[in-house]
Amino acid sequence: MNFNVILFFGFVAILLLALGWTLRRPQRHKRLQTEADSLEGGGQRHIAYLPQIRQAFAKSDYEFLSKNVPPDVLRRVRRERRHVAVAYLAALREDFQSLLRMARVIAVLSPELDAIHEFERLRLTAKFAWQYEMIRWRLLAGVAPVPQLNGLSEFEWKLE
Amino acid sequence: MIPGIAQFQQIIWAVNAIMSVMLLVLLAVRKNYRAYPAFTFYIAMNLTQAALLYAVYRRWGYSSLASWGVAWGSQAAMICARAVAVAELCKHSLSRYPGIWALAKRILLLCSGLVLLYSGVAARHQWKLAVPSADRGLELSIATVIVVLFLFVHYYDVRTERTDRWLATGFCLYSCFGVLNDTFADRYLHGYAELWSLLGMLAFFGSLFLWSWALRKPLTVTVTKENLLPLHVYQSLTPEINLRLRGLNEQLCRLWKPEVTRH
Repeated sequence: MNFNVILFFGFVAILLLALGWTLRRPQRHKRLQTEADSLEGGGQRHIAYLPQIRQAFAKSDYEFLSKNVPPDVLRRVRRERRHVAVAYLAALREDFQSLLRMARVIAVLSPELDAIHEFERLRLTAKFAWQYEMIRWRLLAGVAPVPQLNGLSEFEWKLE
Repeated sequence: MIPGIAQFQQIIWAVNAIMSVMLLVLLAVRKNYRAYPAFTFYIAMNLTQAALLYAVYRRWGYSSLASWGVAWGSQAAMICARAVAVAELCKHSLSRYPGIWALAKRILLLCSGLVLLYSGVAARHQWKLAVPSADRGLELSIATVIVVLFLFVHYYDVRTERTDRWLATGFCLYSCFGVLNDTFADRYLHGYAELWSLLGMLAFFGSLFLWSWALRKPLTVTVTKENLLPLHVYQSLTPEINLRLRGLNEQLCRLWKPEVTRH
């Protein structure tokens, strides 16, 4: 097989995979009106739990525990902190999805769209999805040590 | 019977013609031709092509130069008719949402243009392969447009008619198969022509079956436009939502690169 054949076969394979993907996942036929209700939500519900998350990831807590509790308890703490981190990630994603849904409802019901805004949102969605999966897998695989996530405690929600 | 064409191939040809007639009858009886005039025209044209080719092959033989010219000429017209039918499907799926449809039109046109360009660049530049290469380029372009349309529908989560989805799937699978078939024909031109034609007919049979299944019931024509929001709602809310999405991305970014946050 020469390069040309591989090129066209590859292209068709990508098209068929994309076709299968779009047809396989059932569309969520939510009524637009129901979706429009989310306009009121604002899409930042989980960010309200940031203080608790900060507490869960406080470096001082972890240092105190590492000096005062047996290793098996410390391991358990690490595991639970990891679960908290994964749950927090999922919550962030939920916030993101909620905002996306809101943006889509507005786009669907608009007489005109600005391509720049739409592409920007697509770019942000792709970036978020990529980073989310990377961090999640690193956490689940134990590659990202939980104390490293102390970056969380320094978060500032700029839009508040 | 036409000399030079295998009996099995002629049987498939006849079956396809019968299926096309049945599909046309179905379109007429269920009155679906009103919703899909370009698609109805495409099927009618396909039937006409079959009749024309039958007459030409009987008159000048399967392997004559005249038959070759008529076959490829009518094929070019068929692909144009298919492109119009696909455009109609795209419009049918998205025209209820004027904003999305206006954006989708531009993107679909751009994609089809880029794919045609890609096909032209990737093709082997030989005169005897010019027609199959052009055919492949158009087929690839049609398949790409349908997939991008589906991606649009999926991304914006808009409601589409089940019939539209099935018709588009039939077109897409047929075009994808056409690309693979043309690519093989391009590579192994000699000795593949008969099989090329047979496989093409089988693929068309599959698509006809899919289309007949999709159109077995009359369409409930609900092409009502959604109640649209004033334009300023989009213009004011969308940048704000994008800003918030960026904020969430920044949060993740800090998780991904925690050292950035440490001073």
